[in-house]
Amino acid sequence: MDTRVALLLLLGFTLAPVTPAQIKHMEMRVEGMT
Amino acid sequence: MKKHLERQSGVQSVDVSLIDGKVAIIPKEDGRIDPPQLLKAVYDSGVSVAEMVVTVRGKVVKDASGNLAIQVEPDQSFTIAPNELSKELESIASAQTVATVRGQLYKKAAGKKKLDLSVPLKLLILLLAFGLDNSIEVTSGLVLL
Repeated sequence: MDTRVALLLLLGFTLAPVTPAQIKHMEMRVEGMT
Repeated sequence: MKKHLERQSGVQSVDVSLIDGKVAIIPKEDGRIDPPQLLKAVYDSGVSVAEMVVTVRGKVVKDASGNLAIQVEPDQSFTIAPNELSKELESIASAQTVATVRGQLYKKAAGKKKLDLSVPLKLLILLLAFGLDNSIEVTSGLVLL
């Protein structure tokens, strides 16, 4: 593989936004709230 | 109720709307929240939950029983209730693809006032997205993919 392509791929993986797995948001509809 | 929820593990902030009875919970970036624990916390405050909707990101897997699930932590996953959208996930479960899912995790049974956590919560998918940076943004009731 071309060295420049390999470097670009490496840079891409390094800078790619990796969002961790988790619960991002939660919403509840509630009753009886005053 | 707001203060009680904010004291729960993994909760960053809680936003309560008295007008439409909606409670939005933002988890901590590095925290872990436990939906059944939060449901219980609301009921302990004297309020009942009609519906709980979550947006989760995780690997699509098959659990030990062969059910489709989304794994959000090494030891936390949600079994996915079958519907039209879950069929799309069936084929990618073996590849453990990362997906972002918005779905209903709890809905109060008609005629029941008390919280019943004897049955494990299942995630009924409403929206889904795949990939590294695909996200589902929730803004003022509008859901954007």
